[in-house]
Amino acid sequence: MATINLVDLKKNYGNVPAVKGINLQVADGELIVLVGPSGCGKSTLLRMVAGLETVTSGRIEIGGKDVVKAEPAERDIAMVFQNYALYPHMSVRGNLEYGLKNRGTPRGEIDRRVQEAADILEIGPLLDRKPRQLSGGQRQRVAMGRAIVREPAAFLFDEPLSNLDAKLRVQMRVEIRKLQRRLKTTSLYVTHDQLEAMTLADRLVVMNGGLVEQIGTPTEVYDRPATLFVAGFIGSPPMNLIEVSSVANKNSIGTLPAKTDIIGIRPDALFIAPQEGASISLKGSVELLEPIGGESHVHVRLDSSGQSVVLSIPGRPHLEEGADITLHARLADIHPYNSDTGRRTDSPVANL
Amino acid sequence: MVENRPWLSFLTHLVLIAGVVIVVFPVYLAFIASTHGSGDFMRGLVPLLPGPHMLENYGRMLNEGISTAGAPPVSIMLMNSTIIAIVIAVGKIAISLLSAYAIVFFKFPFRLLAFWIIFITLMLPVEVRIIPTFAVVANLGLLNSYVGLTLPLIASATATFLFRQFFLTVPDELMEAARVDGAGPMKFFRDILIPLSRTNIAALFVILFIYGWVQYLWPLLVTTDSRYYTVVMGIKRLAATADAEPLWNLVMASVILAMLPPVLVVIFMQRLFVKGLVDTEK
Repeated sequence: MATINLVDLKKNYGNVPAVKGINLQVADGELIVLVGPSGCGKSTLLRMVAGLETVTSGRIEIGGKDVVKAEPAERDIAMVFQNYALYPHMSVRGNLEYGLKNRGTPRGEIDRRVQEAADILEIGPLLDRKPRQLSGGQRQRVAMGRAIVREPAAFLFDEPLSNLDAKLRVQMRVEIRKLQRRLKTTSLYVTHDQLEAMTLADRLVVMNGGLVEQIGTPTEVYDRPATLFVAGFIGSPPMNLIEVSSVANKNSIGTLPAKTDIIGIRPDALFIAPQEGASISLKGSVELLEPIGGESHVHVRLDSSGQSVVLSIPGRPHLEEGADITLHARLADIHPYNSDTGRRTDSPVANL
Repeated sequence: MVENRPWLSFLTHLVLIAGVVIVVFPVYLAFIASTHGSGDFMRGLVPLLPGPHMLENYGRMLNEGISTAGAPPVSIMLMNSTIIAIVIAVGKIAISLLSAYAIVFFKFPFRLLAFWIIFITLMLPVEVRIIPTFAVVANLGLLNSYVGLTLPLIASATATFLFRQFFLTVPDELMEAARVDGAGPMKFFRDILIPLSRTNIAALFVILFIYGWVQYLWPLLVTTDSRYYTVVMGIKRLAATADAEPLWNLVMASVILAMLPPVLVVIFMQRLFVKGLVDTEK
């Protein structure tokens, strides 16, 4: 149980900055997900908190103590690795016990905690097996068990689900969420999978190029992306970012905030039918129809700019590929951005 | 490969059996010779069946040796050889494990240089540097001692290189997990790296034990006291008698005795080796 405070945290590899000054306050018991594309510095940030990377400048406070100079073992954290990093020559029990033994925990206490973790994760029958005798999902559980038995101040997850198959990933995602709710341990979770990020996070930290783009609850981030990057990154299929000049009925644009030159429209906010109230329209031709079960994704090439936009429509619309089409969007659903600053042009989003 | 071709399997077996016969026959002959009387082997017709003097020959070699040839009892030489081979094998493994650990897992200035210097010594066989090595050992007063017999042979670039290659395959996360689990460098080495290297250690022990056992030139140089003779060089002394025919039956008895420990090591370690292969796997 602890808070984590990152103050102006920076990391350079030689002259190359990987993390360019991160401020983040994690409340006690909160699950924060760091999400971003490869190379955005999210893993480096996590490893700095773990103590596996040195810190170039800034402070890391876990439970109010500055731990920048502390060894990983002294930080009272437990980490779950992407490839699980189980000790191959030890049994599952040996893997769970190792950290406790190194800390000189009494035998009775070790047995109690191992039993408890095994019960929580339902790996009791596997305790005497070796890691290579386990399936991917079971290894994942053992890796989590190794973190749980330590009863640490914070869990650090480094893309723990990316080695699992899609179905198992969804299942384990739910379990991690339940587990974290139950144990109420402060957690930092790194992933590049935005669906995983959205479903797990109490708060989301979207990172790009070593900087934080936006911090907020998943709904906040989805509903009001602070920057063009977040707008394009969160959501699947991604938000359509269209230049204002492409809009057909120019008269309605006047109501957009000043300096807006790019508008973002979510695929589910684009419609084929004209909309009531203030709206804009876009002309184009149907390029591709992707039926994906309950809904269909329609790719439309805009006449004015040649840009391709995607809209998602419930059911299976009767559209011919190549047919002309006019798309409509309510003004209220439009996210206005400025391409120079990359930020929203309506009331800015508080970044805390 | 699973194939059902009777002629092919007959032929392959024939080749294998012929190979085994070629390799085994001299050994068999040595054994036969060691069971006959002193002159039997020189009479022109080589006997192919065991003779009646086996216990007598072996007993004599083990307990008395041949004093006229300047050879101590084989039991002493066997003991010396065993001590030397074990010290060399264990020492080589211990030193190369530690140096490979340092080179792979620690960042220190010139560590690549350190590795290459070790690696380059691979190109220098013992024989090339034997005179300077002898001078050093002699000046240190280590002639006729176990230290003198083993110390110059105890560093191994080959083993260091093999362990380095193995350590490079150990994922970084394993070390990081151990650090988070509160294991310091030596604890990680002892609890995780060494158990993982078990099969490599077993295989190297076999190779290095035999390397130590068959050392000939170096023991010949540094020992003048018969108490420190090793069995391999001792056999040479037995065979090189000045005026008389060598006592082949006794020489061969020593040869058979000299062969036994390496054979036992191979057989014993092979089981461990296979067990290790089955048990640990990443």
